[in-house]
Amino acid sequence: MPGTYTRVLQTSEVPVGTKKAVDVGGKAILICNSENKLHAVSNICSHANETLECGRMGRTWIACPTHGARFELATGRAMNPPAVRPIKTYPVRVVDDWIEVEV
Amino acid sequence: MNVQNPKIGPGEKGAARCPGAPSTQEILSHDKVQAPPSITAEHYKFLGDEDIAYDRYITPEFAKLEYERMWNRTWQWACREEHIPNVGDYIVYDIGAQSFIITRTAANQVKAFYNACLHRGTKLRGSGSEGNATDFKCPFHGWQYNLDGSLKYLPCQWDFPHVDTAKTRLPEAKVELWQGFVWINMDEKAPPLAEYIGPEVSAHFAKWKLEERYVAMHVIKHMPCNWKFAAEAFLESYHVIETHPLVALSTGDANSQYDVWGDHVSRFLAPMGVLSPHLYGKHTEQDVLDTFTLGDRTVLGDDKLTVPEGGTARGVMADVLRDVMTKALKSDLSSYSDSEMLDCYSYNIFPNCFLFPGISLPMVYRFRPNPKDPTQCIYELLFLRPIPAGEARPAPAEPFTLTLGQSYSEVPGIDPGFGGVFDQDTDNLGLQQEGAAASKKRGLTLGNYQEIRIRQFERTIDKYVGKP
Repeated sequence: MPGTYTRVLQTSEVPVGTKKAVDVGGKAILICNSENKLHAVSNICSHANETLECGRMGRTWIACPTHGARFELATGRAMNPPAVRPIKTYPVRVVDDWIEVEV
Repeated sequence: MNVQNPKIGPGEKGAARCPGAPSTQEILSHDKVQAPPSITAEHYKFLGDEDIAYDRYITPEFAKLEYERMWNRTWQWACREEHIPNVGDYIVYDIGAQSFIITRTAANQVKAFYNACLHRGTKLRGSGSEGNATDFKCPFHGWQYNLDGSLKYLPCQWDFPHVDTAKTRLPEAKVELWQGFVWINMDEKAPPLAEYIGPEVSAHFAKWKLEERYVAMHVIKHMPCNWKFAAEAFLESYHVIETHPLVALSTGDANSQYDVWGDHVSRFLAPMGVLSPHLYGKHTEQDVLDTFTLGDRTVLGDDKLTVPEGGTARGVMADVLRDVMTKALKSDLSSYSDSEMLDCYSYNIFPNCFLFPGISLPMVYRFRPNPKDPTQCIYELLFLRPIPAGEARPAPAEPFTLTLGQSYSEVPGIDPGFGGVFDQDTDNLGLQQEGAAASKKRGLTLGNYQEIRIRQFERTIDKYVGKP
């Protein structure tokens, strides 16, 4: 059964190299546009529950600004200490210039 | 540590060169666009012919000496400046058990902090990590440091009356910025990097401007050998004929030029687009052209190149490369000589930095010991490409890691021929490490000319580890 996608932002609101935090049904999600590819990941670091939204984004990762844990945007995998557990990732798509996330 | 070799031949030591073959400089003298003085300079010096004991490549004791006396006194590049473009950006650099947070503290200022909290030692940032911070907060108890290293916050300060918070700051290593790299040195008394490299080779790099290039590819490869064995495999062309027979068809290997300057810098110039002296009489100029192997052969396209009557493969390659790479890189390459376009220049800046500033093979190597096993090491290969004219600097390539058994052909986007050449080196190095332990003869023997860079390299190792 296909999941339910929720419109969260217009594509123009997340230019290449930027990210924006959204709330979808009570879930804190970060929409990241890295190298013209959109990713939707949990905005909460798996290490100490700090928000990721002010962290640096690389080509393929986002770093937690508080203690430096780093996560792969595509898979949520924890790339270095102090995090071990991954963060959740969500399917994302663009329909009519709207970014939609499946939660 | 050295074993005296009783067999010393007659004549002036180190004076012999490959018989029946032109020197590198004779080859360059026939080029259409002549090489500048930095390339035509020669700087060989005989430095001895004793065997070098294998222990240094095997034992934890020698590795410990290197950590205690060499790695902490030498200049190493920790990252490219492009890895930390904005204030607060940081990346962690490890050498052995030592770890540093390299961070940009102002537009033109970078600091290297020892990566350990002053409370109970926890690393402030994990090894292998990078990111951006407004401050560095320890994940254990929350001691917090400003970007300049000063203490920002000490939780429950009432319990630490013995800590002078005004004077508490993260210790730093020395930092210099050169050629787009961030260089660090743990020795507070270390000479400036320019003095360490010396004026002559510093001047060579004034033209290369590696700060104007970007990291187009970055591979981290775990190697089955001591870091010095790995580094030394790239200090000579002597191995080309046996290890890379296909490469030999278009490389002046036995007549490559070797230079050494002082203790910290050496170079080889390997003329490309010429037949190996080992293969004279066995191949035509057209064969040389057909097999010319490059890091990015792909930029040459599928057009069949032909050596004109009376022409040379080298001449054709120089013209084609300049033309094709000018278009591919969208860069003006007209100021470069044929040699700079074609040839393989390898500079070693002691201990572990290799710079290949030429246009066709624009590589950087870095070698680091595996702190848990002296018979393994971590090798990094980067391609530094010119930034296409009129375009913004691309973000540096993410590193792609290969474990001990993995092939370079698994790196996305790598030229398959190029990956195969590097696999050939890795295969040898595992055998060399095992053979060094198995050998009845307890030291290695070096050629006087072709392996002079290894001689200088090990002599400098001796100088550092011999100094308490």
